[in-house]
Amino acid sequence: MPAFAYHRPASLDEALDLLSRFGEDAKILAGGQSLLPLMALRLSHPANLVDISRVPGLNEIVEDVEGGLAIGATVTHTRAEEAEAVHRLTPLVAAALPLVGHRAIRNRGTVVGSLAHADPAAELPAVALALGARFIAVKSGGQRRVAAADFFSGFLTTDLAPDELLLAVGFPPQKPRTGVSVKEISRRSGDFAIVGLAATVSLDEAGLIASSALSFFGAASTAVRVTEAEEALAGQSPGPEAFEEAARIVSQSLDPPEDANGTTAYRKHVAGVLTRNALADAIDQIGFAA
Amino acid sequence: MREAVAGRYIGQRVRRVEDQRLLTGRGSFVADVEPEGTVHAAFVRSPFANANIVSIDHSVASRAKGVVAIYTGAEICLLTNPFIPFSNLPGQFTPPFWALAVDRVRFVGDPVAVVLAYSRALAEDAAELVEIEYQELTPVVSIDDALRTDSEPIWPAAGSNILYEAADQFGEVDEAFRKADRVFTETFTSHRLSNQPLETRGCVAEVDPESDEVVFHAATQAGHALRWTLAAVTARQSAVKSIRALAGNRGRLKAFARGAKAALAGTGDQLKKADSSGTIHQIRKDPRTLLYLGRSFLGTLSAERFPRVVAKDIGGGFGSKGPVSREDAVILAVAMELNRSVKWIEDRVENLTDGGQARDERLTISFAVQDDGTILGMKANLVMNQGAYPGVPFNCGLFSRIMKVMLPGTYRIDAFRLDTTVVASNKGRYIPYRGPWANETWARERMLDVVARELGMSATQLRLKNMYHPSELPAKMITGPTLDPTMTAATTLQRAIELAEPAAFAAKQEDARSRGRLLGIGFATYHEAAPGPPDYTDAVTPGVGALLAEKSEISLEADGTVTIRTQQMPHGQSHETTYAQVAADQLGVPMEQVRLVWGDTKNTPFGIMGTGGSRGGPIGGGAVQFSSRALRTKILDQAADLLEANVNDLEIVDGNIHVRGVPAKGKSFAEVAAAAASAGGGIGDEPAITAEFTYNGPPQGGWACATHVCWVEIDPDTGFVTIPRYLVVEDCGEMINPAIVEGQVRGGVAQGIGAVLYEKTNYDEFGNLQSSTYMDYLMPTAMEIPEIELHHLETPSEVEANYRGVGEGGAIGAPPALTNAIENALAHLGVRITEQHLPPHRILELTGVIKPNVASR
Ligand SMILES: Cc1cc2nc3c(=O)[nH]c(=O)nc-3n(C[C@H](O)[C@H](O)[C@H](O)COP(=O)(O)OP(=O)(O)OC[C@H]3O[C@@H](n4cnc5c(N)ncnc54)[C@H](O)[C@@H]3O)c2cc1C
Repeated sequence: MPAFAYHRPASLDEALDLLSRFGEDAKILAGGQSLLPLMALRLSHPANLVDISRVPGLNEIVEDVEGGLAIGATVTHTRAEEAEAVHRLTPLVAAALPLVGHRAIRNRGTVVGSLAHADPAAELPAVALALGARFIAVKSGGQRRVAAADFFSGFLTTDLAPDELLLAVGFPPQKPRTGVSVKEISRRSGDFAIVGLAATVSLDEAGLIASSALSFFGAASTAVRVTEAEEALAGQSPGPEAFEEAARIVSQSLDPPEDANGTTAYRKHVAGVLTRNALADAIDQIGFAA
Repeated sequence: MREAVAGRYIGQRVRRVEDQRLLTGRGSFVADVEPEGTVHAAFVRSPFANANIVSIDHSVASRAKGVVAIYTGAEICLLTNPFIPFSNLPGQFTPPFWALAVDRVRFVGDPVAVVLAYSRALAEDAAELVEIEYQELTPVVSIDDALRTDSEPIWPAAGSNILYEAADQFGEVDEAFRKADRVFTETFTSHRLSNQPLETRGCVAEVDPESDEVVFHAATQAGHALRWTLAAVTARQSAVKSIRALAGNRGRLKAFARGAKAALAGTGDQLKKADSSGTIHQIRKDPRTLLYLGRSFLGTLSAERFPRVVAKDIGGGFGSKGPVSREDAVILAVAMELNRSVKWIEDRVENLTDGGQARDERLTISFAVQDDGTILGMKANLVMNQGAYPGVPFNCGLFSRIMKVMLPGTYRIDAFRLDTTVVASNKGRYIPYRGPWANETWARERMLDVVARELGMSATQLRLKNMYHPSELPAKMITGPTLDPTMTAATTLQRAIELAEPAAFAAKQEDARSRGRLLGIGFATYHEAAPGPPDYTDAVTPGVGALLAEKSEISLEADGTVTIRTQQMPHGQSHETTYAQVAADQLGVPMEQVRLVWGDTKNTPFGIMGTGGSRGGPIGGGAVQFSSRALRTKILDQAADLLEANVNDLEIVDGNIHVRGVPAKGKSFAEVAAAAASAGGGIGDEPAITAEFTYNGPPQGGWACATHVCWVEIDPDTGFVTIPRYLVVEDCGEMINPAIVEGQVRGGVAQGIGAVLYEKTNYDEFGNLQSSTYMDYLMPTAMEIPEIELHHLETPSEVEANYRGVGEGGAIGAPPALTNAIENALAHLGVRITEQHLPPHRILELTGVIKPNVASR
């Protein structure tokens, strides 16, 4: 591992000071489950690590008055996975978390760290995109909110500036008559997905599909939604036919990269299969219809 | 579980003696060794598969923090001799090569320079600063690349990328193929794998600056072979100096001559069978070989410092720690040059890149058969991709000879022809991996399923029809070795059929298919030389058998305990437990009284094999049994004096030696030891009584046999393969410890499943390694490996020490059983499996769900 200077600020201001002082030469260290492997392989050479684990106030899961939820920067996957509020208010997040790596990784890795890292094969960026999450970024002397749709800008890159810290991620309340599902395939248990999706479906009072989100990981250089398929579902009666059509559109419109774990053709095909399964699964949860 | 009873340990599930130490973190591995003043090494490695080195500039790196020294290939050439072939087959060319790349790099990861610094981290930092200019050459990656006549030779002296060709014919092959009703031919390809022990390679060359002693601590499967190879490579001095030194040190010359004479005694006749034309061919192709040979030989005899190799606990090897690594030679050479201790522990990326790789073979098989399934003849064409650097001491050539002998398997095949080609390519080095001949079993057992399907027979029926059944034995395989009646492959198959009920399964499969589910079953049966009879070794490598004998030394210590010294290098096989079981039974003492000493070339008997080739039980264990018996005789003689009794009236029960039926008037081992010591004038801690035995395996038999049965379910939507049931029926003769046998079989099966579904050393068309971390080289975990059901046949033998090796079999049987099951599940879709690696996307390509992508394979 290349040499680096280690900083462990005791307050948010101190952390932001360090980030503004070092700019490009610093990296935030959260759970280290993505950053440290990269450094061990000498693929990342940050001169300074700013460890935020001791910054007070970041390790919190907060319910907001509208029924949404905010997860702070140092909340680990495991803590979120075990939080009752996460299951109650954001079932899609709860469904995704057990699929993130292995337990040992979730014990250290953080939800916000995973979003900031923006691995295209990671579950949580796709979840954030499906739910329209809001990101709260801070730097010395300023705070801003970024919509999920604007946050993930490319392979392992986000809208965050080098001196910004992602303070928390906020998930909006779940709509009524909504079912969710996360489906993925991975070569081995606990591996990053070859391809997967986070799906939500909401029905109107008549039991037809009002809206949906089909948000894929492992299918492009960032998490992506297939809006044509979502649009095709709108107004449809939830059932095999509609799901099959959505699956067809998904397989057709995605153009995933290829590697030893799966060819482009394979990922396209399986994305369709997973779409079908996820939609059926999500609808099942709503408890009526079809 | 049967409880262990003192006096009868063999056959018991005795708990591993090793576990207490290893599981409580008290193992001692090479990474734990760090003499005072040690400097740490990091290698600068080639980013290109094939390139000339134009220039190396390490001026900046040399000034980096903590750097002690940097050596490049040019400097290593002055400190070492090149690696030269240990043995060459007739017609084989094995390029001599240096420990570091000199003017050319030949695979991604080829070590170009070594940086020594006060820590590994500092050495890595500086390694990044070494500037090397390369001129890229066209890489030769695949077997087809290498076979192309216009491919530029990776080793110019070879003249092409074909390093070895052989044609072997047994019986009337053409006639068999002419007479046959049907001929079936198929080509099978297996991918590259990497052995992947938990502990990577590593060594510490400990140099005492005051004395001449050099201790080479290593994670090695074969300490003595490592010692002599390293001595030959690092003994670099002028011939004049060597000769002068020899004149001044006649002791070593005499000792060497004595050793050689002893090694040859009684084996001279065997050695005469050896064919030395390979070495002559080698020298003709590359006359420098002669110079290197001479220099290494003289240097080895006369060098001032001769390394002593020491290994303690070893975290697995699977064949990868038998070969000598170039890095080992670099570390030893620079340590002696700097006169200080140097340590190198490789990381996982290095291990996946340069820790040795295996398989990467292509086999075309033709069977000539009658319509009723009788096999008349077999033809095979084998191509092996050696990679750039030949393995030391054993390279592809030797393993191709094992395949030659074993390809006909347990079947009555009276006509057989094999054409063999070994090619060089710009990949990592080919080394043995658990069952290094395994692809002959895979391809043959796969092909038998193909033939059965074509003939409309069941796969088991075809096998049973053509197999040697024990009642028909002894018989000779067409390739030479004798099969004795303890070769029970057919019995394992019959038992497996009873347990697996393939007929009932077929109905279930049919029903599942009608509901869109894909179920399959696959069988594979084989016998392996573990160690096989003497005519097996003769068939593989005439004349070499004599060198494989193994000595066990055993002593009764002054305190009454027993010490066994072995050349074996346990690295997960539980020798401390099993050898204590064997010796304790012979001697009549509690196991706790027996201690195994291994790993230090200074106090263990010589042997070139170390641990490998499934020999630890049969040969190492046999040697322990016979040496223990010799010791028992001596102990009883001594006790008879002491008890004033007739030797024939004595018995030993639980460590008490007494006249039969009169245990109260017995003597303990310690008392006998004391008596022996005073009689022999011994003093202090010296062993009181010693004995030894040199053993080279049983006069007949020595075959381990098994049938594997694998069930699969394949998801038609995703191509994922799951294994709901896996069964092994095996016969390794008498089991010293069933729990350990089962552990060996299970581990092997896991690796075989890994090969088919998960693991692949993946090079792209430019020779870039795509699998240099565990993100891309997928090791199966406990989650991926099914419960493995084991059934044992313990066929007795008139041969004593009826232990047959089980180290490799699991890994040999699993790939054919699993790939046969996969084809069986997909047969109705017209799928034929001809490749060994079947990730989910490949399954869907085969079933026609998605379009094939050739480049991604
Ligand atoms: C073997 C293994 C398997 C894994 N499998 C999966 C998987 O299946 N799915 C999956 O999603 N992930 C997987 N991961 C990654 C894991 O989820 C990580 O926890 C997560 O990606 C990063 O979280 P972290 O807290 O460890 O971040 P770190 O590694 O500490 O940081 C990651 C990056 O985010 C930046 N960062 C972190 N926090 C902030 C912040 N508050 N503001 C701005 N930037 C920040 C860092 O500077 C760094 O660039 C796996 C990891 C391993 C080692």
